[in-house]
Amino acid sequence: MGRTLPSITQVFLQEQESFARFRRALRRSDQLALDDLFAAAHQHLAAAAYAAHALPFEVFLLAMLLEEHKEVLRLRRLLESALPASDD
Amino acid sequence: MIERTGWLLDIYTHPQDGVVVWLLDEDGTRRRLRQTLPVIFFAAGPPERLRLLWRFLGEQPQPPQLSRAERRDLFNPEPFPVLAIQVENPATQPLLFNRVAAAFPDLVYYDADLPISLRHAALYGTFPLARCQVAIDEGEKIASLFTLDSPWELDLPVPPLRILSLEPDVDPFHATPCYLNITCQRSSYRLALSPPRPMLVNLSAILQRHDPDLLLTTWGDTWLLPRLLELSEQNNIPLPLNRETGLGIAYRKERSYFTYGQIIYRGGQILLSGRWHIDAHNAMLFHDYGMEGIFELARVTALPVQTVARVSPGSGISAMQMQTALRQGILIPWHKQQSESPKTALELMRADHGGLVYQPLIGLHQDVAEIDFISMYPSIMVRFNISPETVGQESPTAELIPELALVVEQEHPGLVPRTLAPLLKKRLALKRRLADLPAWHPRRTSYKAYASAHKWLLVTCFGYLGYKNARFGRIEAHEAVTAFGREVLLRAKETAEDMGFTVLHMYVDGLWVKKEGLCQPADFQPLLAEIAGRTGLPIALEGVYRWVAFLSSRQNERVPVANRYFGVFQDGSLKMRGIETRRRDTPRFIAETQEQMLLCLGQAERACELELYLPQVFSLLRRQIAALRNGKAPLQHLLVSQKLSRTLPEYRSPSPAARALQQLQNIQKTLKPGQCVRFIYTRGEPGVHAWDLPEPPDPDCVDVQRYTNLLIRAASTILQPLGVSETALRDRLLAGLIAQENLFETRSTLPAWHSLQPPA
Repeated sequence: MGRTLPSITQVFLQEQESFARFRRALRRSDQLALDDLFAAAHQHLAAAAYAAHALPFEVFLLAMLLEEHKEVLRLRRLLESALPASDD
Repeated sequence: MIERTGWLLDIYTHPQDGVVVWLLDEDGTRRRLRQTLPVIFFAAGPPERLRLLWRFLGEQPQPPQLSRAERRDLFNPEPFPVLAIQVENPATQPLLFNRVAAAFPDLVYYDADLPISLRHAALYGTFPLARCQVAIDEGEKIASLFTLDSPWELDLPVPPLRILSLEPDVDPFHATPCYLNITCQRSSYRLALSPPRPMLVNLSAILQRHDPDLLLTTWGDTWLLPRLLELSEQNNIPLPLNRETGLGIAYRKERSYFTYGQIIYRGGQILLSGRWHIDAHNAMLFHDYGMEGIFELARVTALPVQTVARVSPGSGISAMQMQTALRQGILIPWHKQQSESPKTALELMRADHGGLVYQPLIGLHQDVAEIDFISMYPSIMVRFNISPETVGQESPTAELIPELALVVEQEHPGLVPRTLAPLLKKRLALKRRLADLPAWHPRRTSYKAYASAHKWLLVTCFGYLGYKNARFGRIEAHEAVTAFGREVLLRAKETAEDMGFTVLHMYVDGLWVKKEGLCQPADFQPLLAEIAGRTGLPIALEGVYRWVAFLSSRQNERVPVANRYFGVFQDGSLKMRGIETRRRDTPRFIAETQEQMLLCLGQAERACELELYLPQVFSLLRRQIAALRNGKAPLQHLLVSQKLSRTLPEYRSPSPAARALQQLQNIQKTLKPGQCVRFIYTRGEPGVHAWDLPEPPDPDCVDVQRYTNLLIRAASTILQPLGVSETALRDRLLAGLIAQENLFETRSTLPAWHSLQPPA
C-alpha cells in the first residue's frame, strides 16, 4: 500500500517545519500566536486535501484567514450586542 | 448406482484417485468419494513458441491433451488464440505447469494455479458444507453431483459435525505443558505428555474412536501438532491425524509480512486432508467471528474451511472473483499484466487520494446522530459499475467522474460488481434481519458472526482493486472508488446542511450531525431518505448519542483528532474510538478502569448532568490507585503486550519491548516481527520483566508509579472534555484531596472556544 503522494497531513507538517527558523527567531508571545495560526489551518485539512491544489500552502494561508475572519465576525457580533445601537 | 444426499466436507486432489470428495451423508456416514475432473490451463504467445511448447508437452511421460482454442481475458473483449492443455488428473497439474513455466518463461499463462475447490465450485456450484445430491457408481465414484443449497441463503444449517478439541494445559510459549486436554462430544480426556508412548497410543485410539470432522486446537499450528508428529516419528507410533490414509500432512512455513502500515506474523500451518484442522490461535480473526464466521467465509468464497480460517480476507475476495471469471469463461492470468497508465502531475494530485477525513469540532455535543453509508466502497463499485475492465472504457452509456475526468462503462456489469452484488445483498438482508430480531434471540450470534465475516471481505475488496499483485486489480478503478466516495460524502454533507443540520464530523463513510430539537431516531429519517435519494447509496442510522465527546490531540488542545472520541447511545451502549481502552498495548487493568469510568458517566442522560457523576468517577480512580499501591491489582492485568515491529538488532533505542525481547532471547526464546512480546514494568533496571521468562516477576518490583501515571493519563482522556486537565487531575488524585469545587476551578482556565456549542 504505497502512496505516490504524501498525505495532506504530511504536507502540512512539512510546511510547518519549513518555518521552524522563522518561528525560532520570533518572541515567545509571537511564537504562540503563530502556533494558533497553524492550528487554525489544521482544522481544514480535509478541505485542503479535497482541493488538491498544486501549492498547498496557499490553501493553508486561506484556511488561516478563514478562521481569523470567523473570529472577527464573532467579536463583531459580541460588540454589537454589547454596545447600544448608534444612530449614525 | 446409489443416490445419496449429504453435506460437502472437503475436496482435494489425490495422486491416484484424481479428485477426492468427502461427503457427510444424511445417515451420518462420512463417505470418501472419487471424481474424475480433468483440468485445463492455457498458454498464449507467439505461434512459433506455442508450437515448441506443443512439442515439449507431447514428449512428457504422461502427455496432456492439447488443442487450439480461442478465449478472452478481462481486458480484451475480442477472443484470441491460446493453447489449451488438459490434464486428466489435477494432482499432476501443478508439477507439469512448473516444468512448462520454467521451460517457457516468456509465454503468458492462464488458469494455471487455481485451487481445485474453486474449479469444482465454478462447475457444480459447490461450497464447503453445501448440501449435495450425488449418484455413486461402484468403486465409490461420483457419476453425477447436484448442489441443493445456495451460498446466498441466510439460514443454512450447519450439519452435525464431530468436533474434537485438543489443547495443552498451559501456553507452550510461556511454560512447558505437561498434559493434553481433549474433549469430543460428551467425553473428555487428560493425557500426560510424558512419557510419550502411552500418550501417543491413547491419542491415536481417541482419534480413531471419535473420527472427528474438525480438529480444533490451540497452538496446534505453532506447537502442538508439530510436537506430536515429532514424537510419533521418534516412537514409531503413527498418529491418524489425517482422515485420508496414505497422504502426507501439508506444512506451511511461518512468515512475517508488512501490510496496511503494520507488520503481521503468521504462524506455520498444518493442514489435514479429509478432516479440518483449525488452530484458534493462528486462525485469522478467530476472535472476531469464531467458527460460525469461518463457515460463512467458506460458503461465500468456496475455499476449503481450514484454508479460509487461515488466509486473509483478500484471498477470499480473490477466490470469489476467480469463480466469477471461470463461470463467465474469462481467462484468469497467472500474473497480473496491467500497469498504471501515465498521468500528468495534476491528474495524479487529484486522483491519489483516499476518503475524506474531517477534523471534528472538539468538545462535548448532545443529541448527535451518527449516520453511515452501508458498505460504502463496495456499494459504490456495484452502483457505478466500477471494475478494472469498465474504468476508462468509452461507451454511449459511460458515466463521467468529473474529478478524475475518467469515464466508467455502464452497459455490461463488470467482474467486480458481479462478484460483489450477491454478497452486498446478503449483507443488507442480514442487517435488516438483525435489526428485527429481539436481543435474546439465539440466531443473533450467528448473524453477527456472518456480518463480521462479510465485512472483512467487503473491506478488502476495495484494497484489492489497488493492490499491485491482485490479478484483477487496477489502480484507476481503485481511484475511481475513492473519487466517488468523496463526491458522495460531500453530497451527504450538502444535504444535511440544506436541511438545517450542523455537521460535527465526517469520516470517509460516516457523518455526525445534530439539529436543535431532534433527538429521536425517527427525527433523522427524512435526512436519511434525502441523502439516499441524492447519492443513490444505502445509508443507515448507526444511532443517536445522548452525548459524544470529540477529543483534541495530546500535543495541542486546539488541534482535533479525526478518530478519537467516545459517547453514549440512547440505549446506554458506549462507543469509543482511538482511546486507551481500544489500544492493544494498554494493560487490562487500565483499559478496564477507563471503561468503568465511561460506564459511570454513561448514566448521564444529558451532557449537563455529567458533572453529577464526577464524584463517583473520582472515588473509582482513588480505589484503583490504592489497589495498585497495595499490590491488589493482579499481575496478569498489568501485562503490557506490544507487537514487535522488527528483530532485536534492528531496534535502535532500547525500548521496553526491545528490553523484554532481549530477556527472552537470553534464554533462547525467539519472537518474530509481528508477534507480541508481553512484559510488566518493574522498578529500577532494566525496567521490564518479560512475562514468558521461566521465573515469575516479583510482585514487589512492579513499577507502581509508572502504572499510576498510565492510569491518570487514561483517566484524563475521559475527563478532558469535561474540563479537567491532566495536571489538575494528577494533583488532586495524588494529594488525595478531591474537593469537587476545586476541580471545577480548573475549568475557568479553559479557552473561550472550548464551549459546548460549535463555533458559528
